[in-house]
Amino acid sequence: MAEYQNIFTRVQVTAPPYPGVPLPNDGSIGGRDGKPFLQHLIGKFGDAQIGPIYLGWTGVTSILFGFIAFEIIGLNMLASVGWNWIEFVRQLPWLALEPPPPSYGLGMPPLNQGGWWLIAGFFLTASVLLWWLRTYQRAKAHGMGPHISWAFGAAIWLYLVLGFFRPILMGSWGEAVPFGIFPHLDWTAAFSIRYGNLFYNPFHMLSIAFLYGATLLFAMHAATILAVSRYGGERELEQIVDRGTASERAALFWRWTMGFNATMESVHRWAWWFAILCPITGGIGILLTGTVVDNWYLWGIKHHIVAAYPQVWAAPTVDPSTLPGAAP
Amino acid sequence: MAMLSFERKYRVRGGTLLGGDLFDFWVGPFYVGFFGVTTAFFAALGTALIVYGASLGPTWNIWQISIAPPDLSYGLGIAPLAQGGLWQIITVCALGAFVSWALREVEICRKLGMGYHVPFAFSFAILAYFTLVVVRPVLLGAWGHGFPYGILSHLDWVSNTGYQYLHFHYNPAHMLAITFFFATTLALSLHGSLILSATNPRKGEPVKTAEHENTLFRDIIGYSIGALGIHRLGLFLALSAVFWSAVCIVISGPFWTHGWPQWWSWWLNLPVWG
Amino acid sequence: MRTTANRLKVVAALALAALVTSGCERPPIDEVQGGYRGTAMVQMYNPRVVAAQAANNTVPVAQAAAAEGGPLAGTVYQNVQVLGGLSIGEFSRTMLAITEWVAPKEQGCAYCHEGANFADDAKYTKVVARKMLQMTQKINADWKPHVQATGVTCYTCHRGKPVPEYVWFKDVDNTAAGGLGNRAGQNQSTAAINGSSLPSDPFSPFLLGSEPIRFTGDSALPAGNRKSIKQAEWTFALMTHMSQGLGVNCTYCHNSRAFNDWSQSPPQRTTAYYGIRMARALNNEFMVPLTDVFPAHRKGPGGDVAKLNCATCHQGAYKPLYGASMLKDYVTALAAPVPPPVVAPPVEAPPAEGEAAPAATPAETSSTGDAPAGVKQPG
Repeated sequence: MAEYQNIFTRVQVTAPPYPGVPLPNDGSIGGRDGKPFLQHLIGKFGDAQIGPIYLGWTGVTSILFGFIAFEIIGLNMLASVGWNWIEFVRQLPWLALEPPPPSYGLGMPPLNQGGWWLIAGFFLTASVLLWWLRTYQRAKAHGMGPHISWAFGAAIWLYLVLGFFRPILMGSWGEAVPFGIFPHLDWTAAFSIRYGNLFYNPFHMLSIAFLYGATLLFAMHAATILAVSRYGGERELEQIVDRGTASERAALFWRWTMGFNATMESVHRWAWWFAILCPITGGIGILLTGTVVDNWYLWGIKHHIVAAYPQVWAAPTVDPSTLPGAAP
Repeated sequence: MAMLSFERKYRVRGGTLLGGDLFDFWVGPFYVGFFGVTTAFFAALGTALIVYGASLGPTWNIWQISIAPPDLSYGLGIAPLAQGGLWQIITVCALGAFVSWALREVEICRKLGMGYHVPFAFSFAILAYFTLVVVRPVLLGAWGHGFPYGILSHLDWVSNTGYQYLHFHYNPAHMLAITFFFATTLALSLHGSLILSATNPRKGEPVKTAEHENTLFRDIIGYSIGALGIHRLGLFLALSAVFWSAVCIVISGPFWTHGWPQWWSWWLNLPVWG
Repeated sequence: MRTTANRLKVVAALALAALVTSGCERPPIDEVQGGYRGTAMVQMYNPRVVAAQAANNTVPVAQAAAAEGGPLAGTVYQNVQVLGGLSIGEFSRTMLAITEWVAPKEQGCAYCHEGANFADDAKYTKVVARKMLQMTQKINADWKPHVQATGVTCYTCHRGKPVPEYVWFKDVDNTAAGGLGNRAGQNQSTAAINGSSLPSDPFSPFLLGSEPIRFTGDSALPAGNRKSIKQAEWTFALMTHMSQGLGVNCTYCHNSRAFNDWSQSPPQRTTAYYGIRMARALNNEFMVPLTDVFPAHRKGPGGDVAKLNCATCHQGAYKPLYGASMLKDYVTALAAPVPPPVVAPPVEAPPAEGEAAPAATPAETSSTGDAPAGVKQPG
């Protein structure tokens, strides 16, 4: 009864680690670093080989800048608990590096009034953009399409909207997100309440639909591939150029289930679009918030999408500040 | 009955769980089977009841239609149709349709000689829905804790349910679920990108091989999980997202009645801090 | 060996499970529906937690009623500034009640009174108590929109303790002054804010100052509303405190889909509105003026006086003492400023607060629509 469902690799074939596809000199500095090795436990789940890695100048500078940002944030958090390491660990989820108070607008505030936040943001952004450049250069060096770069670019778009574009349009760095675990969640909740309930933002709806959709798609796709892995379904590139029974069964499964099927290649187009539309639509939704729309709930009223609930209290509640003799 | 060029040889008898050969046939591209019949029955009845429920309500505006669960005062009893009874029957229909769909997938898997990964994965989604509208309401003692069936009204329910715990983002299972959702989307974008970039190379380049897939990822991050591993990872991430979503809602109420920020006091009070 | 290892694993797993679930509760849970069905406007109560809190919300037995008539306290005793108009019987039972409600058991009358001369104002506690009596009368007379006919007594906040369990002091975080590590008034677990990292002292701006609490715009499109997300966080912190202080959640007063919309809010939001203004007025009119009276050890790290917020009276209950009225047994002394005895001219000038209650007799049923006098601020 029990069948092997290919959740783990039962027999690992070991061979000398593969140094990577040899590339013609592409002008980058340095080559691949690190001596690749096999890790048996990792091989149970994925490929056992770890390394080598290609760094290049973009990789080195990206890691350096990322480290600087990380340090600025971490040292500010440590300073906020009086340089006490135990309290740092204990309170870490609550700690943050806050953006400047809104009163500074887009000016450069003192270091401890958000200046550190701006510097950390600069280095983090530089790090992310350099890493983006690296993905682009590597794909180019391999003669492969730039799809990873465009997908990564979609995520960077959301990041820049949150910390750069929207604060600029609002005229205040204080609109941006703090660097911190719980504090960024506080920001998220406050952002939604301030702008009248983000659930009524249609781009937020789309973004969540794409987030859930991407998860659904990956579950469908990954499960399908694993289910036909006994026919070599995971060798997708080969199945794409030379369709085998794995592709045929995978396609027919969905055709018989829901009347429609993707192909071994097109399922990855669906995947790519769903995944990148999540941050793209999310970024649009955030960029519009406060700049174009101030209250999403009232926007919903305006466009007749708000459900009406019967009144359950004896009389409608009245804002006391509107009564005679009251001040808000 | 249009068929794919290779489809005919796969359309064979057998593999059914119930009904033997009776429903072992196709309608257009759709496989039917016993569970196809039950799926259609539940889906049609549920949809009809939603339409009926909408007709009892104040609006035909698609965004505003809402079929609400009963008042809490009905507890776990049956409510009159217009007072949440419709919601109860529609919930039964939805669960019937979802489970039928999953079992139909099992039959199709058997027909095609595939593993059961897809119905297994789908069962996680059903579990999450079941948790929302059955497990949690039962634990709390009233069907009224289910969410209303409406495009915007279910968002209002999510909002208020979140604010029942003051700040839902502090719910640890919610944190895990969101992290898994984001991680799944990230992994999917990378996987989709990698396959597309190999099969759609730069102008003049030949289509790339698995060696290129591995090398590109090792070049960028020092590790490539491999063609098989990425699908194991993707399934794990996606199902974890769904699983922790179900956990995060079922603990809210039945196992925690305060604000979620307060829950974290255990961390601050661990004896290790001295 | 193998079984030992397995046992160890089981023990470790159980320990981990215990750790993870240590902060958890269990069914059955009691719920109270607040809005239309399906809107999830519901209060969640763990009956075991409620049972544990019941003792703190039990009303002590009232002092036996005083005999009718008799001379007035102000004509018999010296230096009775607030309750001089009471008969000595009523005065004595009120003093006994206050002693039971506030003073430490081992000290009794001596907690406020110096030696045998009860008229002496030497102890700060007596001066504070006098002010607090005036505050209680003021609340019961002028803040009916919040306390309704239930009213308050000393016990509402004190619950047998000399200092109420829940008071607040100004945040003295000075990280903003250094070179780095500015907390910006937030980003630490604050018990009064449900342990969140929201601003830890929303009381100074809202319950002492009168910074605007509202930040949501009234129009779909931008129309000049420049409130920032940070301001929203401060209000969120105040609201989190209110919820926790009352043992309710946000949906007790709001439909969270439109927090600011009064027409969708349950009626208790009105009561809460006056509660905010009451706390603000009391802090400014009664607590702050006592700053110099209190000794240093009763003050906060910044040298400020203890102040009140929602939790001070409510102590985790939606109504203090679950709505039981103790005032009904002490109406004569505490329901309103007591008119001074007419025969004692020196006491004729009542304390400054008395002036806000014209004609001395409180309007018994002030309509909830009327804002109390304390709300009428300039602007």
